[in-house]
Amino acid sequence: MKRGAILSPSFFLLIFTKKFTMINTVRNTVLSVLNKNNYGYLSPSDFNLFAKQAQLDIFENYFYEYNYQINKENARQSGTGYADIRKGIEEAIEIFSETKGLVRTADNIYSLPSQTTTGDDYYLLNKALVYQTLLDEGTTTAISAGTGNNKLIDSAANFTADINIGDIIAYENGGVQYAKVTVKDNSTTLTTNRTDLNAIGRPYAIYKSTTKFEEAEKVTHSKITMLNNSLLTAPNLTFPAYTQEANALTAFPNTIDSIGQVQAQYLRYPAEPKWTYVTLANGTPVFSQSPADYQDFEIPLDDEVGLILKILQYAGVMIREADVYSFAQAEENQDNQEEA
Amino acid sequence: MAYISEFQYYDNGVNPPEDVNWGSYQYVPLYDIVNNFMLMYQGNHSLVNNEERFKILFHAKRAIQELNYDAFKEIKVLELAVDDSLRFVLPPDYVNWVRISMYRDGILFPLSENIQVQSAQAYLQDQTGRVLFDQSGNILRPEDSSLDFDRIKGSKPSIYLDQNNGQFNGQTGYNVDGCWYFEYGIGARFGLNTETANSNPTFTIDRKAGVINFSSSISNNLVVLEYISDGMEGGDDSKITVNKLFEEYVYASIEYAILGSKLNTQEYIVARMRKRKTALLRNAKIRISNIHPGRLLMNLRGQNKWIK
Repeated sequence: MKRGAILSPSFFLLIFTKKFTMINTVRNTVLSVLNKNNYGYLSPSDFNLFAKQAQLDIFENYFYEYNYQINKENARQSGTGYADIRKGIEEAIEIFSETKGLVRTADNIYSLPSQTTTGDDYYLLNKALVYQTLLDEGTTTAISAGTGNNKLIDSAANFTADINIGDIIAYENGGVQYAKVTVKDNSTTLTTNRTDLNAIGRPYAIYKSTTKFEEAEKVTHSKITMLNNSLLTAPNLTFPAYTQEANALTAFPNTIDSIGQVQAQYLRYPAEPKWTYVTLANGTPVFSQSPADYQDFEIPLDDEVGLILKILQYAGVMIREADVYSFAQAEENQDNQEEA
Repeated sequence: MAYISEFQYYDNGVNPPEDVNWGSYQYVPLYDIVNNFMLMYQGNHSLVNNEERFKILFHAKRAIQELNYDAFKEIKVLELAVDDSLRFVLPPDYVNWVRISMYRDGILFPLSENIQVQSAQAYLQDQTGRVLFDQSGNILRPEDSSLDFDRIKGSKPSIYLDQNNGQFNGQTGYNVDGCWYFEYGIGARFGLNTETANSNPTFTIDRKAGVINFSSSISNNLVVLEYISDGMEGGDDSKITVNKLFEEYVYASIEYAILGSKLNTQEYIVARMRKRKTALLRNAKIRISNIHPGRLLMNLRGQNKWIK
């Protein structure tokens, strides 16, 4: 394409479609290489297994690459602008970034991100954020089904004094949800911008809209006892801290104990890729995105080559074909050298 | 810390107390110091890397404490009445004293620190001098030692010219226009010990006991204590601040403290940081001393005065 040419809408559609069905392109390429010289065939279930492993390999490798690039930058061997490799890796990593409230299990203990609490397993907890100004907390005593379950009703509350429009309501309903106060109806009822306040007895907490988030610092268990006993550096709401134990996060000071008071920014694992089909043509499955469990690769398009080579390596081992494995390994090494 | 509106500054948004923001622009909160340091001086491309925030917080607070001891010149003043116990309990944030005065008849009388021992602990003893204990094996103590008792009663002689128990107390003298004059003793008197030549009450600070003990003549007077604290604001981190003139010094101090204790930091980097820190402290001290022609003018006007 000539420089300066106007791109047609169909061009964008092409890119979008290509990205959207990256898994099919990868599979076709893998099969194409494997079929050369009749090395063998890769079933959809085997492909999906290898695809998952390959994506995880590449995903984990981002972090080593990132560190490598940082070291190169510190050695002044890296450029800026289009030569900024680090930026590209950051973008790839941040595809998997999520920021969600953590479910409180007891006192100042919160569940780490998981399928059951936040909807995804985490690879790395990058930071924990703590709401500073708690205005009110309580339990819902009624629902407003007639107005679409958008009201927070607590007959024991007194919302008139300290709650303002825009303040944030945290409650748990399939994980922590955050709603905004849109109308102060009366001293016991607030209208929100969400419609899932549909249960009585649901605990909630309200935070000031202008409250600052403080970043809690991760502290190891070998330090936290001394830190808590330290006169100068004991955790407080200005400088909070947390420890991790099994699948729980313990926040300090222990006054951090309200619903939704701790949010986490974390990197989740990539979703498991799934090449799906609905029909068979001449005994061969035909790709379809229709099944509910269809899942494309989540890593960027520029890793397509890497994916193909990694899947080929696994496939080569499976079909006991050393040539396939060697070819893929050699290609990958060359690719790595070029990128370094 | 966000900038505040002028309305917020003067009236605190009509929320009491209204004076909470007055003068606040001179200061940087501790939170900002730590936040700025983590952002600007710590990271993948900085000399300080992979350091926990609590270490930064610790060194920031230590720097602020040190500045409070001598550089800030932020002297706190507390006025309390001293009763018959002749005792002034040190304030909760006391670190060291600057000056102690007695306030009487609208005048502040600076007091001298008594170099003599004025207070002591005592143990109860039997007739043979053996120390007495209670059933738990603890030593029995009298309410006051004899030293304290005499001081409180005013019967303890003093080397100071204290009005009640000075060295001229009880001597024959002449009162002329309200002032007492005494004859010299035999052999004449060659000068005065200026260190003790003060007729105001005296004091001694018992640091461990947390009190200032006074001589008896101060009883039922107001005492003004000028003292310095360490700026830790009773442990409330949100209230700890640093004068902006010292902001850069605090960053340099943290950086030096971290790099100076970090393994494998080249000595030339440590030396560079030390120089930067001391230079910034010197600059800040000069700035806060506020020496400028306007202040010197009145002093310089006396330069041609005849000295008799």
